[in-house]
Amino acid sequence: MMSSVKKDRLGKIIDVSFFPLLIFFSLIMLIPVYILVKVSISQPVDVLTQHPTFLIRNFTWDHWIKVLTSGKLWPAFRKSFTVATLTAIFAIIIATPASYVISRLPKKVKYIVILGLFFTRMFPNVGIALPIAVKFLKWNLMDTYIGLVLAHLIEQLPFITWILVGTFEVIPVDLEKSAMIDGASRLRALMSIVIPNAAPGIAVATLFVWLNSWNEFTYALYLSLSDNTLPLQVYYYVNRGGFFQTATYATILTIPVAVVTYALQRYLKSDYLGGAIK
Amino acid sequence: MKRFLKKYHLEILLILPLALYIFYFTLIPILQTIKMGFTNPITGSLSLDNYRYLLEREDFRKAFVNTFIISILGLIMQLTAGLILALMLKKEFKTKGIFRAIILTPMGVPTLVSGVALLYIFDTQGYFNELLYRITEGLKYIGLIASTYRFVPIDWASGGIRTILMIAFGDMWKVTPIVTLLLLAGLESIPLDVYEAAQIDGASKWQTFKNITLPLLKPSITMAVILRSVDLFRIFELPMILAGKTVPVLATYAFEEYRVYNNPNISGAVSTILLVIIMIFVLLYLKYVDKGEGLA
Repeated sequence: MMSSVKKDRLGKIIDVSFFPLLIFFSLIMLIPVYILVKVSISQPVDVLTQHPTFLIRNFTWDHWIKVLTSGKLWPAFRKSFTVATLTAIFAIIIATPASYVISRLPKKVKYIVILGLFFTRMFPNVGIALPIAVKFLKWNLMDTYIGLVLAHLIEQLPFITWILVGTFEVIPVDLEKSAMIDGASRLRALMSIVIPNAAPGIAVATLFVWLNSWNEFTYALYLSLSDNTLPLQVYYYVNRGGFFQTATYATILTIPVAVVTYALQRYLKSDYLGGAIK
Repeated sequence: MKRFLKKYHLEILLILPLALYIFYFTLIPILQTIKMGFTNPITGSLSLDNYRYLLEREDFRKAFVNTFIISILGLIMQLTAGLILALMLKKEFKTKGIFRAIILTPMGVPTLVSGVALLYIFDTQGYFNELLYRITEGLKYIGLIASTYRFVPIDWASGGIRTILMIAFGDMWKVTPIVTLLLLAGLESIPLDVYEAAQIDGASKWQTFKNITLPLLKPSITMAVILRSVDLFRIFELPMILAGKTVPVLATYAFEEYRVYNNPNISGAVSTILLVIIMIFVLLYLKYVDKGEGLA
């Protein structure tokens, strides 16, 4: 046997550096968020200078008040909110029954279907958005809620199907079978046995779809000419160089995402991640 | 056929809306884009003109190279950080819950917003330059740097490798939690008795890591590599926000050709090239690095 001192040198290094490294990573994860919020509540002297301060010196609500009363926030907010909600509702209606069927397919077929769904995600968004934009221009769907909902579903349907297949898979087939032996029709068994059992999974998936749609940028960019969604509003101020409006809008965009993500933390499994969270 | 329809009518009915939607709003657009890429915009006939045009464009070649560098660099950075964090979070310690929540923070931040935050940090008058400035001042004070040295703020968005690094860092910040969770799930599925056996045999940490953890983690790593590389090649929001026009990647280049120069056919050609790159990369990875084990 080799001397154990030599063997565990790496182990020792790990033991000593464990907490410092963990704190270092934690700081990196937190600092960008802190800076963002800090800029949105700082006075220009602390930010637009050669030497910005790290701490909040001159606190102010000015930028927030300006943004909240400017009249430009609410239309964008409403558009993002409505589109995200409609996208989530339609995604659930279309994807739930389909995922149930996919989850009951023979293993090999299921694998191919899921791979097919993944393939649609391999194509760059800018490629799909292009013919969609051309088509929607013809159909007069630019700047409309329904146009955006249709476009957001392109990305969200494969994502939610992926998640829901995993949810349905773990519900035992025997449950439906016994219901059907008791005289329930297949549809009845599905509605009163399978769906209620899958309800928590469906709810979590819906929230993730809502978030993805709320954050969506590429399709919104292609399909909007004058009515901005909230992410586009952020981008608009980035281009205009509005330092404080950008920070404030960005913070507003983040709040629901942060709240939901934090609340759903324990549901964050690799199933969900495999899909599309970006 | 009739019997098949009769037996499975419910299944077909349930899956039909999804299938039709994906067919009409995803599959057909993809084919249209590919066709657009092979269509000459003036004559309307099928040709390779768009690709010839792209090869001559300096911007396109740059975008091509930049996309590759960002993808490879990003992949290495994300997997390293994700693996370190996953190994850390696998350990049991008192404040684990708090640290786990902190490390997952970027998941609660939209990609676009992470770009904005990094804009403040990597601005010429930003917080990272300020940090570097204070460090140099400190070193001057101790006497490690000549007192005549003056720190010149770095312009991170000026293009070149700096900007690429900034974008790769931005993407890493955003997705490291996802990679961490993916790898953590893999780590937790490794049975504990394998480690116990290794300990009894007197294996060092490094040996255990190299001979047990890494091979058994391979399926999770494969999954992470494939998911992340697909997303990295298509990267769009971050370069759009962080670099504007100085560092085009293929996705932003495709957008510009459509929106700014009104060349949908060129844009279609770029998207097709991007798809081919992604497919080649995924296939090569599966064939030569993973040999199909990860997805089996």
